[in-house]
Order: sequence, then C-alpha cells, then structure tokens
Amino acid sequence: MKLILTLLDKTRPLFQEGGRFAALKPIYDAADAFLFSPLTRTSRAPHVRDPLDVKRYMSTVIIAIAPCLLAAIHFFGLRVLAMVLVSYAAGGAVEVLLAMFKKEEINEGLLVTGMLFPLILPPGLPLWMVALGSAFGVLVGKELFGGTGRNLFNPALIGRVFLALSYPRAMSAGWIEPGQGLVGRALEYATDAVTMATPLAAAKSGTWAALPKLFFGNVTGSVGETSALAVLIGGAFLLIIGIANWRTVAAMLGTFVIVTAGIYSGDPHAIIWHLLSGGLLFGAFFMATDPVSSPIMNSAKWVYGAIIGIATALIRNFTGYVEGVMFAILLGNIFAPVLDELFVTAHVRRLREEG
Amino acid sequence: MAHNDQVVCATCGGSGPCDGKGRETLRAGVWVTNPVSVQVLGICSALAVTNKLENSLVMGAALIFVGVGTNLFVSLLRNVTPRRIRMIAEVAIIATFVIIFDQILKAYYWEMSKQLGPYVGLIITNCIIMGRAEAFALSNRPVVSMLDGLANGLGYAVVLGIIGFFRELVGTGALFGHQVLGADWYTPNQLMILAPGAFIALGFLIALYNAITGINKLEGKGS
Repeated sequence: MKLILTLLDKTRPLFQEGGRFAALKPIYDAADAFLFSPLTRTSRAPHVRDPLDVKRYMSTVIIAIAPCLLAAIHFFGLRVLAMVLVSYAAGGAVEVLLAMFKKEEINEGLLVTGMLFPLILPPGLPLWMVALGSAFGVLVGKELFGGTGRNLFNPALIGRVFLALSYPRAMSAGWIEPGQGLVGRALEYATDAVTMATPLAAAKSGTWAALPKLFFGNVTGSVGETSALAVLIGGAFLLIIGIANWRTVAAMLGTFVIVTAGIYSGDPHAIIWHLLSGGLLFGAFFMATDPVSSPIMNSAKWVYGAIIGIATALIRNFTGYVEGVMFAILLGNIFAPVLDELFVTAHVRRLREEG
Repeated sequence: MAHNDQVVCATCGGSGPCDGKGRETLRAGVWVTNPVSVQVLGICSALAVTNKLENSLVMGAALIFVGVGTNLFVSLLRNVTPRRIRMIAEVAIIATFVIIFDQILKAYYWEMSKQLGPYVGLIITNCIIMGRAEAFALSNRPVVSMLDGLANGLGYAVVLGIIGFFRELVGTGALFGHQVLGADWYTPNQLMILAPGAFIALGFLIALYNAITGINKLEGKGS
C-alpha cells in the first residue's frame, strides 16, 4: 500500500492542469479515491462529516449482493463472472470517456450498477449484449440525466428494458438449466447448457415449480434472482444496516400479497409461490430501494412501494408478459419525484396549520 | 429569423427578387432554425414514418412540395386575404397541395402510399407548413417565400433522412430494403424500428446538433 501511495503522490503533477496526462485526470482521481481517502477538504459550510459516504454506501451494497452472486455462480456457472466483468468494463468505459469529455470526476455509482445489471439478465445472454446494455444503461439511464444521484430511473433497469425491447428473442431464450447437486455448475463455464422455461413462463401453461426449489433457487431465471434464500440474506443485511428502506420493501411486498390473494382468491400456496418466483424479491430489496430513484420522504415510500407491488401483480397475471417487476419499478421511478412533491407540500401545509 | 432582418447577401446585393435575403433564408431553414432539430416541430410524422429510409425521404419530398406551393400561394394572396380569415385560407391552400401530392402517390406509388398511411394527409396539420405560412409567407414576396418553404422542407427532409437511415440500418440491418449488414452476424436491434427507438434516435440527433452549434453554452451564459 505504501508503494502505491508514493507512486500516486509522485505522479500527481502529471495529472494536474497543464500536466502531460491532464486528460486522464478522472482516472487518476478515481484510483486515488478508491484506494485511499481523498485529500479534498470542504472550504465552506456545511462541513458534514459522516463515515458513510457514497463509496462506503456502494461497498455495503456490494457485500449484500455477494450471496446472490455466489448462488448465481453455483447454479449457472463461471459464465456469470464473465458477465459481471463485461458489464463493469462496458459501463466503466462509457463513464470514463464521459468524465474525460465533461472534465468531471468519475463517480462510484457504477460499482453497484455494474454488479446489479448482469444479475437481472438471463444467464445465457450473449456477452456483447451484456456490454451494450450496460453501456446504454450508464449513458442514457444515468449520465444524460446528470450522473450519479441525478438519475430519474434505475440505470440497471434502463439497460435491461433496452435489451428486452431490442432483442426480445435473445432475452427470452437464454434461460440455462440450473446446476444440480452440491457443486452445481460452479466449476464449468456453461454456454451450451440446456435451456428451459422460467417458472413463471411454465406456470402460464399450468406447470408450477415446487416451492423448495424456488426458495433455494434451483430453477432457471435471471442470474441473481433465482435463489430467494440468497436474496433474503442480502436483503436482511441491507435493511439492518439501513441502506435499503424497510418501508419500500414492506409496501411493495405487502400490496403484492394483497393483490395476488385477490386474484387467486386467497390460496396460500399461490401467494407464497408468486412471492418466491421471478425477480420480485430481488427487485424489492435491491432495485426498488435504490435511494436515488425512489422518493426521499418516508411517507412517500409507502405509496411508491404500493405502486410497484400492485403493478407487478397486475402485469404478471393480466398481460402477455410473464414477469412485471422490471416495468413496475420503472413505473414507480416515474412517480417518485411527484410523490415527493405531494408529500412535502402536504407536510409543509400541516406544519403551517399547527404553528 | 424575422422578416425584417436586414441581411444583404452578396449575390444580388438586395436588388433581386429575393429581397437580398435568399441565402440567409436558406441557411435559416436548413440549419440555424431547423424546424425539427431546433424548433422541434413536425415531430409526430418524424417519429412515425422514419422506420425506413425510403419512407423518410418520400415524406421529406412531400413536405418540400407542400411547403413551396403553400408559401408561394399564401404570399401571392397576402395582400388580398382578409386578416381575420387568413388561417382558413392558409389551411385551404395547404390542403390543396397535400391532396395533389397524395393523389400522385396513390396513382404512381401505391405501395409507398399504403405504407405512409395517414401521415401524408396529416401534413395539412403539420406545424412546420402552417408556421412558415404564418410567420414568413404572409409578410414576404413570393420568390423568397418559396425559398423559405424549400429551405424548411429541406431541413425537415435532411433530419428525417438521417433518422430513417439510422433506424433502418440498426433496426433491420438493411437500407432501402436491401440487406447491408449480413444476417449471419448482425442481430437487428428491434427497439430502433419501434416508436421509442425514434425518440431515442431523435434525442441523440438533437444532442449532436447542440454539441456542434454550442447552443447550450450560449444559453448557459445568458442565465
């Protein structure tokens, strides 16, 4: 570490204005900030000091995703790692190019987006599509709105919806059969593996996967979503740390259960089955709770979660799509700023009347 | 691009039939105040017909034809048209030229006419045509008015051509219906032939235009 520190300090002038590599300054800054705490000091109030900065925030989410990633490697093979690498590389390239073009700093946002994105794709998707989706998500979903913290939509979901509309055939074909046994596919690369219908697609034709399989993740589906157990472990961690807001999760899953109960006239098996299948849990814990694209007010988070939960249940059961979480969360994202506006106004009015 | 801009172009020094603003008019319509990329007019048709390059170009031709004809007649009649009914008069003139173009299309290019569907007829309500008649032809002489119609039609056609080229190439791998990108290695991006693809393509085109002209920087200085 000492060596890297001296190296970074020695080469600093090269990257400052007028230096030989001034154009590469964003990359230098990113390396500096990632490895060490940056030197920048605030010069004006407020001098907020909080150990939980964006970088640590993102690192915590990465830790929470780890169980899902491990489960994914177990069920779908080492190809998952290749997808993650490609996603980071493509998204990172876009980010670096734009940072150099706009002469701004590289943000830590990609750390999470680049990891979440491959986890919501079919495990057999061609790698170039992963790259294209990641680049599109970062460029259109995030950078065009002003970068990390300003995006209206979840960038990973923008990337996925882009792929789903652009290459519908590939996006509905890459469902690799999950590995069985203790080792699963953890030691193979699995590109020529047999593909099969996802539980939700099979359910439309009357075949319902067994509940234990859904719980442990021994079914096909998007890379990181199949194991409800892994999602719950990571999700519980996020809730305890306080990064994911429990209100969003509770509202989303609660309304989903209520609507599903209404559709299946209260059949408990169907409710639990729907709760565990598809990307519902993954979306609830990791996508809908994204602090940037969800509303800020706690009261607004209830409505936001409810919109997503209801929309998911309705899309799943009454449209041609078998899974609705992606569209539902994007729909919720659209409402987030409006909800904030409404609840802030109401809150201010209440305060005025009281005092 | 107000009509009283006193810009005298070098070709005729202000004595010709274009009142000395021919070059300026052309430049305004095609580039400076391009109807689609700057004024964001005529978006409905620009999004609807641009999934094929051929359709885009025919639509562009239609707008040039209607624009030139309308501006000529609105300008010729500008001194005898009562101010209160000028809008109705303009619409009547526009509709005449649209119907002429539509009939030609139906008579000689039936397939194309079927593909464009209602969008040729909808030129009657196209803001570009109406806008140019109102803003330019009503207060300018016939020749320069025709030039203005031509310039704005061209501006529209160029933008549609670019979007149509991009969307057909990326969306189907073909140009003018001929496969350009090999079907064995190219996977068509189906989003580009859907309406959202048109929005995305147009958005990037406008962003590119703004980057070239530096419009955003100028606005930033003002605020």
